[in-house]
Amino acid sequence: MQKKLLLFFVCSLAMAQLFAQGQTIQFEKYTLPNGLKVILHEDHSAPVVAVTALYHVGSKNEDTARTGFAHFFEHLLFEGSENIKRGEFDKYVTNAGGVLNANTSQDRTFYYELLPSNQLDLGLWLESERMMHAKIEQIGVNTQREVVKEEKRMRMDNRPYGSFLNEMLKRAFKVHPYRWSPIGSMDHLNAAKLEEFIQFYKTYYVPDNCVLSIAGDFNKAELKKKIESYFGPIAKGTSPIVRPSIKEPALGGEVRDIIQDNVQLEGVFQAYRAPKQGGDEYYAFNVLSNILSGGESSRMNKTLVDSKQLAAAAQSVPFFNEDAGVLITLAIANMGVKANVLEQHMDSVVNELKTGLVSEREFQKVKNQITTGLVASNGTMAGIAESLANYEVYFGDANLINTELAKYNKVTREDVLAVAKKYLNKDNRVVLYYVPKAKSSK
Amino acid sequence: MKKYIKILFLFAPIFSMAQQVDRTKAPAPAKAPVIQVGTPASFELPNGLKVFVVKNTKLPRVTATIALDLDGFVEGDKAGLADMAGQLLKRGTTTKSKAALDEAVEFLGGSLSTSSQTATVSALKTNFPQLMSLMSEVILHPALAKDELEKVRKQTLSGIESSKDDADAISNKVMNRLVYGANHAFGEITTTKTVNNVTEADVKNFFATYWKPNIAYLVFVGDIEPATAKALAEKNFGAWQRGAVAKANYPKPVLPNQTYVAIVDRPSAVQSVVAVASTVDMVPGAPNAIAASVMNNILGGGFSGRLFANLREKHGFTYGAYSTLNPNRQVGIFSAEAAVRNEKTDSSVQELLREINIIRDEKVGANELERMKNYLSGGFARSLENPATIANFALNIARYKLPADYYQKYLTNLSSVDADKVQAVAKSLLNPAQMHIVIVGNAKQIAKGLDKYGPVKYYDFEGNEVAAPVEAKADASLTPEKLIQKIVTAVGGKEAIAAINDLQLKGKASVMGQTLDVNQTIVLPGNAISVMSMGGMAIMKQSVVNGKYSVNQQGMEAPITDEVKEGLDEAAALIPEQHYVAKGYQLKIVGAEKVGGKDAIDLEVKTPLGKVSHRFYDATTYLLVKTAVSQEVPGQGSVTQQQFYSGYKSVNGVQIATEEMVDMGQMKINIKYTDIKANQGLKVSDMK
Repeated sequence: MQKKLLLFFVCSLAMAQLFAQGQTIQFEKYTLPNGLKVILHEDHSAPVVAVTALYHVGSKNEDTARTGFAHFFEHLLFEGSENIKRGEFDKYVTNAGGVLNANTSQDRTFYYELLPSNQLDLGLWLESERMMHAKIEQIGVNTQREVVKEEKRMRMDNRPYGSFLNEMLKRAFKVHPYRWSPIGSMDHLNAAKLEEFIQFYKTYYVPDNCVLSIAGDFNKAELKKKIESYFGPIAKGTSPIVRPSIKEPALGGEVRDIIQDNVQLEGVFQAYRAPKQGGDEYYAFNVLSNILSGGESSRMNKTLVDSKQLAAAAQSVPFFNEDAGVLITLAIANMGVKANVLEQHMDSVVNELKTGLVSEREFQKVKNQITTGLVASNGTMAGIAESLANYEVYFGDANLINTELAKYNKVTREDVLAVAKKYLNKDNRVVLYYVPKAKSSK
Repeated sequence: MKKYIKILFLFAPIFSMAQQVDRTKAPAPAKAPVIQVGTPASFELPNGLKVFVVKNTKLPRVTATIALDLDGFVEGDKAGLADMAGQLLKRGTTTKSKAALDEAVEFLGGSLSTSSQTATVSALKTNFPQLMSLMSEVILHPALAKDELEKVRKQTLSGIESSKDDADAISNKVMNRLVYGANHAFGEITTTKTVNNVTEADVKNFFATYWKPNIAYLVFVGDIEPATAKALAEKNFGAWQRGAVAKANYPKPVLPNQTYVAIVDRPSAVQSVVAVASTVDMVPGAPNAIAASVMNNILGGGFSGRLFANLREKHGFTYGAYSTLNPNRQVGIFSAEAAVRNEKTDSSVQELLREINIIRDEKVGANELERMKNYLSGGFARSLENPATIANFALNIARYKLPADYYQKYLTNLSSVDADKVQAVAKSLLNPAQMHIVIVGNAKQIAKGLDKYGPVKYYDFEGNEVAAPVEAKADASLTPEKLIQKIVTAVGGKEAIAAINDLQLKGKASVMGQTLDVNQTIVLPGNAISVMSMGGMAIMKQSVVNGKYSVNQQGMEAPITDEVKEGLDEAAALIPEQHYVAKGYQLKIVGAEKVGGKDAIDLEVKTPLGKVSHRFYDATTYLLVKTAVSQEVPGQGSVTQQQFYSGYKSVNGVQIATEEMVDMGQMKINIKYTDIKANQGLKVSDMK
């Protein structure tokens, strides 16, 4: 026992050293008088720059009768501005040899341009135009509404299992706005008047609700002046920002359902209600999730996919947000395998986590994987800019980019056992079977 | 307060220094950054392994790749061997099972991947030496175990199976076969047969033949000193034995004498995949390679290419149209492709060729050229963010014997590409008079008019030339009435048909791996019930009993329209053809086609409600062999559902098909009746 302990100690020490030698991400953070938070990471190793803007608005800020707004704005804010003609926003970037995109979660919306570094000013201009006076017009609303409908058809309706997040969330949450996913309701978007879109823009897409995070090949002193020129004149927001304070009660019993979909293979999707992101339990959950499905040697892959050949794919997804989280475990059955059989085996993999401590070797393996993953996420300028902004918005601490590993290191095997026992219980979960249409599963 | 003022004062200069920006137009780019493409350290081990080290300390991790300097493999009747061998490589070593190897790699927080001519490991700096020794174990002592080979074979076969419905995959295979030729490594086609030919011995032999250090590169990228890399290379791969590997010597593909059209017939296709292709004489790094890349991107690179603008945005033939141009040391390839609606196949070929001609005949405008150069130089700059790019540059320089400063000078050379160079390279590489036009589609619907581009030939899915699908001619003297007489006679004659009072067919249906029970009962005249069930539970039930119609899917009643009634009445007739004339069906013999390799007569049937279907009867036996119904599906255009009948068996003197196959494109249902009984004395009251 003592020898084992010692070994574990050596391993931790190795990790601690690694952590110490891991390159620190240097950055500067400041706030403009209009409330815009700016984070700058200067790095000259490649002639590229990532210009990103993270707005602290996601689907949870939406009115219950106007769901899908935040995601809709992800599209609408590419339509143009006072100085950018309709449809030209992305052409500027492409013609400069850059790429751009955006994404929306339940908590925030993220826009970015990745440019050759001599096109830095273009990125500042585009993002400041978007923040200062984007054009919210009927024609753009109509166009993007069709695009979003097409996106929903492509991603959810037409893709096997594509509806699972929607179906899962509306059963896992009863009162919190997390009960709908960012895509929201097409009926709500249809019903919304132009003034409502304008009001949403004025409320949420304001400097004091945004983090401008820029990483890459620039001269920081010059960039700061430019940021002041482009973003300084943008006025603070004047409408109050709605941040829901709803507390979701316990699930109070297992919820089960069967979804018929255009799928060929049956699927099992489970979601266990879990705490919000950031706390000790959250880190324990991330470790636990890696034990289940991090890599070929993880428990779900090894048992369900490789050795028993019951599943074509199996995965666990920690889905954690500002106010609450769920741990999703899912598996797609192999040809001829029924959902209920697959579920039994998934359950026994999960239950094993509740019956005893994970072996030290396996525990160490998972921690090593997490360490590698954290390092890799700092491999690109876009990744660094996004991480800095996320950490700042979620935890008020951009420096977590350098210190988060310590939080993982603090997690013990006992912590994993404790969260497994506390949360991975039947009365705390939703289970969905996906079965081929016009057929049923017993 | 005082302090506050002070701070404001401190800020003041900054604010006043902020330049006024002109928001009305996009800011001009700053001077292009000077791009330094680093030169990696390099050395060679005594066994001939050539090593490159790209040191990049940005992150504390290292990646190492071994890559064989080979241009594919000729595999003949074992096509697929190399890919399978590549997958097998990481599935265990002589001392570690697959599970043990996976665990060992992942315990180190690392990754390991292999292919037919590469192997890659990656890990944090601290764990990297151990990953290197695992890679060494995998390459020098692979298990290549029989049971793992069978797993790989199973996956490969299911991959082939699923690609049979994939028009893009068919197009790609046949195009390569035609462009490179059957005896060229790039033109081989992996089939179920060739995959099944691969043995354990073949896999072992594959590694013994090709995996030699003297034709391999080992490239380190990341936080590692060249000296450390050298020590690791020597320790782990010093013992790797060199050996002679014959240089690939493929017959040089010949351009066709004239442009021709190769049609691969897919009768169920609603879209044609059109590709205009040829080999091009261009090696990587050739003097005009950068101009060729600019030319290709103007023609068909992504959303901003001319093909996209023409075929999608102007004409709406397709969701996307693109061209590619890949230089290669053996021989390069050019292709311009689009997946288009059936009826626009001819027009699409025309537009693809038109754009190829325009880029040859006309100089590109200054704006378009400038935009494309910006786009390419931006992409080049962005690619440098990934240290593996530098490693690839080094590999290319070594493999293709490029000047050492080739990539350092890339941007300068790119900026010197002008309209004349673009046109010149288009003229030298693209010859519309000697192209392969490969079309995977519904030959019957699309072939007309294609002969204006050159001779039209037909190929099967594996690229073998086949005879044109014969437009089998129906006997001109045959009228629908005469045909129906022949059908009735063939089935067994009026008397035998009339003697049947009831008929019951029981069997199994298989749909995508699921098995269902099928039970059909007909009580004449005019009553029928058909049930599909699983585990005793009815999933689909259709019936007409005593003039009552019902369609029930999983307990849900569907609305009954007149069309539904018409269909159910038809199902309740033993031989519906007998009643066509009396019920006022409009009949027309519209031609003939091959069904299952045999001629069949195509009878077009229009019901009184106007529903059109086609019924195909064997031209010699006059038995029904296929039905086809087309319907408009929103977003997909016209979709055809076909049903095939076979395995005819005499039941009380009447021919009944015991096998049916319903083909709905993506999904197929196979039905086999094993228990068929007539005249059991069933009554309408028995029908539940």
